[in-house]
Amino acid sequence: MSFLSSYIHYVGCFSLILIGLYVVLVKPNLIKVIIGINLIDTGVNLFLIAVGYIRAGTAPIFSEAALQADKMVDPVPQALVLTAIVIGVSVLALALALAIRVYGHYGTLDLRRIKGLRW
Amino acid sequence: MVSPVLLIAVPLGLAFAASLVGLASKRLTKFVPVVAMLFNLVVSVSLLPVAFRAPIIVRTAGWAPPFSIHLVAGPLGLLLSCLIAFIGLLVAVYGMGYIREGAQAKYHVLYILILVGATGMVLTGDIFNLFVFFEILCISSYALVAYRGDSAGAEAGIKYLLQGAIGSSLVLIGIGLVYGMFGTLSMADIAANVRSVSTFRLFVSLAFLITGFGVEAAVFPLNAWLPDAHSSAPSSISAILSGIAIKAGVYAIARMVYTIYGAQSTLPCVAVIGVATLLVGEMCAFNQSDIKRLLAYSSIGQMGLIVFGLGMASVIGVSAALFVIFSHALAKALLFLASGYMIYRSGSREISSLDGMGTRMPLTSLCFAIGAFSLIGLPPFVGFASKFMIVRAALATADPFFVVLLAIALVGTVIEGAYFLRIVQGLYFKPTPEEAPEEGTRKEAPLSALVPVGVLAALIVAVGIYPGLVGRALGPAANDLLDRDGYVERVMGD
Repeated sequence: MSFLSSYIHYVGCFSLILIGLYVVLVKPNLIKVIIGINLIDTGVNLFLIAVGYIRAGTAPIFSEAALQADKMVDPVPQALVLTAIVIGVSVLALALALAIRVYGHYGTLDLRRIKGLRW
Repeated sequence: MVSPVLLIAVPLGLAFAASLVGLASKRLTKFVPVVAMLFNLVVSVSLLPVAFRAPIIVRTAGWAPPFSIHLVAGPLGLLLSCLIAFIGLLVAVYGMGYIREGAQAKYHVLYILILVGATGMVLTGDIFNLFVFFEILCISSYALVAYRGDSAGAEAGIKYLLQGAIGSSLVLIGIGLVYGMFGTLSMADIAANVRSVSTFRLFVSLAFLITGFGVEAAVFPLNAWLPDAHSSAPSSISAILSGIAIKAGVYAIARMVYTIYGAQSTLPCVAVIGVATLLVGEMCAFNQSDIKRLLAYSSIGQMGLIVFGLGMASVIGVSAALFVIFSHALAKALLFLASGYMIYRSGSREISSLDGMGTRMPLTSLCFAIGAFSLIGLPPFVGFASKFMIVRAALATADPFFVVLLAIALVGTVIEGAYFLRIVQGLYFKPTPEEAPEEGTRKEAPLSALVPVGVLAALIVAVGIYPGLVGRALGPAANDLLDRDGYVERVMGD
């Protein structure tokens, strides 16, 4: 129980990643697969935030003189997550644009029937 | 001395300037990539002698490593950046004439961005910055694979994107784990402290990183996207993807395994993966009837050879792998560029439709044959010198394990010889197929295509005859990768 309560954020973000991976691997619909990719992205971003998290920590801004640096969460992972979010959004936008193209050519989003290319 | 930052900043600026130039004059856009890559080539070459004495460390915002995002322009980084700029320049010249339809301004912007991503990857000294440049490279290549907008392009693009996106997520998890363990993102700082953490935790993070970058490097069994993507893209983009983009993935893996982790114990496994990649690639290539798909599978095979060389963990093994990177970049760019116009003239990608090209397009066919012979490893072309170095390195380890793997790898070379010789035989000794469109098929490729193809062919022969031209630079570059203590000291020292 104490394990779960102290590592709950890691459990949460890795479950999110695994759910996303499950969706990518199992669902035949292209849009659902793209949603799965997005779930993985979100899980990874949460993981990065969790790495820098301190229990009962504050934002890393010296807004008052009384604030101590050791009570602040690590700002570096937050900067990384900002970058990762931007990258994730652009990948998502491109994926959806390509999905529209694929739909235009094949008339379906079912990945089992999009088989113009093969080994 | 110019700062290596310009190698990234100037092309990046020009990439976005290209679309503005496109507003003013549509015809000028296609010259922007040429200017950008010419600049990179000149700067990289002029910095090489400096970097061979000591790597150039660029600090950002006045903070010393490990607190800043810094660039480390060492011998290996600058050598690869020279290669990227050189191939990039030739393919940009080729693209001026080859890209005639579609959104041309966007093509040129994305084209520069691929090369900026690759240059940034080889020059950076920060693990997250590596990821950002990796993503710049990946996202622009997803878009360019689908550039033509036909069904094959869209399908290959979405396949590549889905696999690439999962790979990038794995890399990011790996980076998160590394940051959690060491509290730093500087490669040198991580390398200095890597012994302070238990082996198991190191192994988990390294596994995430290798798998993630392995998708881009197309090592078996992560290579399902490559034949589709490389064959559906325009030929100029295929040349860049095969010549540069997958090499950037291998560079990232090598940097992780050697410099950062010093994980020599994983290397036999890496060597086995390399040989498996080689065999799978060559055997699939043998069965293809589509010329671009065949070349794409052959790229997988050559990547296997590179990974095998890296797996030997000796200076000569890594030098040999770098030499194969060099020779494969030249030869595969040449083959894709030459086959681009052959396909354009014959109107089909079937290998049988290229029969008799030796009389219809003599110069292009001659260059194609040189590239094919170089990939097989026939003397006096550069492919022979690089493959010979791999053989020498494997025998120098005096380890039965590597000698057996080498024997299997050489079987792959025989298969490679079989399918490339078949194509060359078709080019010269088979009659032109009856149904070939007579109109226009007798024309040679235009000058903007013949010049890059000719330069690549000349270089393949020249370096093949004097391997020392490149060979002397490989030793220091391999040392840059292997000498971890030296790397840490030089980056963190001052």
